[in-house]
Amino acid sequence: MSRRDEILEKLHTVTALPAAALHVVQTLQDPEASAQTIKQALHHDPGLTSNVLKLANSAIFGSTRRVVSVWDAVARLGTANVSKLVMVVVVSPVVQTPVKGYGLPPNELWKHSAAVALGADFLAEFCRLKSQQSAFTAGLLHDVGKILLGTLLEIDSSPILTLAQQEKIPFDEAERRILDIDHAEVGAALLENWELPPPVVKAVRWHHQPDVETSETVIDLVHAADALCLSGGIGLGIEGLNYRPSSQAVARLKLTSKVNEVVLCKTLSALAELQGMFAQAKGE
Amino acid sequence: VFAVQHTVGISEMSVSNQPEDVLVTYSLGSCVGLSLYDPERCVGGLIHCMLPLSKIDPQKAEITPQMFVDTGVTALLTAVFDLGADRSRLIAKVAGASSMLDPKGLFKIAERNYTVLRKLLWKNGIFISAEDVGGMQARTMYLHLATGKTVIRSQKVEREL
Repeated sequence: MSRRDEILEKLHTVTALPAAALHVVQTLQDPEASAQTIKQALHHDPGLTSNVLKLANSAIFGSTRRVVSVWDAVARLGTANVSKLVMVVVVSPVVQTPVKGYGLPPNELWKHSAAVALGADFLAEFCRLKSQQSAFTAGLLHDVGKILLGTLLEIDSSPILTLAQQEKIPFDEAERRILDIDHAEVGAALLENWELPPPVVKAVRWHHQPDVETSETVIDLVHAADALCLSGGIGLGIEGLNYRPSSQAVARLKLTSKVNEVVLCKTLSALAELQGMFAQAKGE
Repeated sequence: VFAVQHTVGISEMSVSNQPEDVLVTYSLGSCVGLSLYDPERCVGGLIHCMLPLSKIDPQKAEITPQMFVDTGVTALLTAVFDLGADRSRLIAKVAGASSMLDPKGLFKIAERNYTVLRKLLWKNGIFISAEDVGGMQARTMYLHLATGKTVIRSQKVEREL
């Protein structure tokens, strides 16, 4: 059995997300998801509902009227925003674990994942693309493969990093040379097991190689948001910035220096806001 | 005496005149970290700027001047002067400005950050006495107030700047 098959084999033993949470994630991928859909998705999980309402209340901090129901939250924040809050609450426990083999302390991967989700969303807005739930979801989950490799399979990234530095190749290419697979493919395989929609799976699969598969704009959005957040130093692991941005993806999205900087600026602010909301919701 | 560590986040700064203080900023990527230190007064400051120029979002710069190199460096200088530092004695050290594997300069945030920083320090008559910039690695930067020692930690290796 090759190293690659060995890794993919082990994936089948992983259930990083409870079934109820997984159902919520799947349901919310529908871009037409209505308030009714959100409410139904949350229906079976009172704990999740209460966490989402706490966050919603932090989001409208200062208001005298509190959000007491999912309907309320949707009325105040809009369906798309509530949907994103739900996604963040569901996915957070997965990406909050420290990723030992990849040199990511606790919370760093969460920060990076949330930032890429927010960044992909801002990029879509600036590129005048329809805001896509799949970009946000894929952003949140794009590095889930690092958790599988670094924490569950306890793969030590030092030889991968050494190879990348010696040969002056991107880190994901070094992963492929040593493991026969990279964290993007591992993550995508997991999300496929979870039956997430193809655009999300593809965006995760190709986020470091957006020119291999050009069928979905969401791939370029996650790729560019990842590049921006790495540059901004938001959640860097042992490999630092050792990835190769794609000039074709940049051209397809028609990104300019100015758009990049504005989006990075907005992303950092939105991330701080989200962190504040979490801290406050925890304190309640 | 135990060292008291103060963390400077992305787009934040910290200044001190307490010898037991250590200012630290983690995760410098394309961002630039600047430490300033006046050895005579034991006054120092550390800033972590993410983007070069505040003109992309002047409103944001009002609230968080530290996000941008132009407004951030000005804010840091003002803050260390307020604690009694003297311009002529300031020792300036710089770290960060890493890039991706990006020979085409698609995301040239690092280069722009570094250029603006150099220019601004030069305009203020401050020389960079040491720097650790470029490459693809993430860096952590420490400023020890007791000694003015600036230490860079990158890929598990520490060295004094």
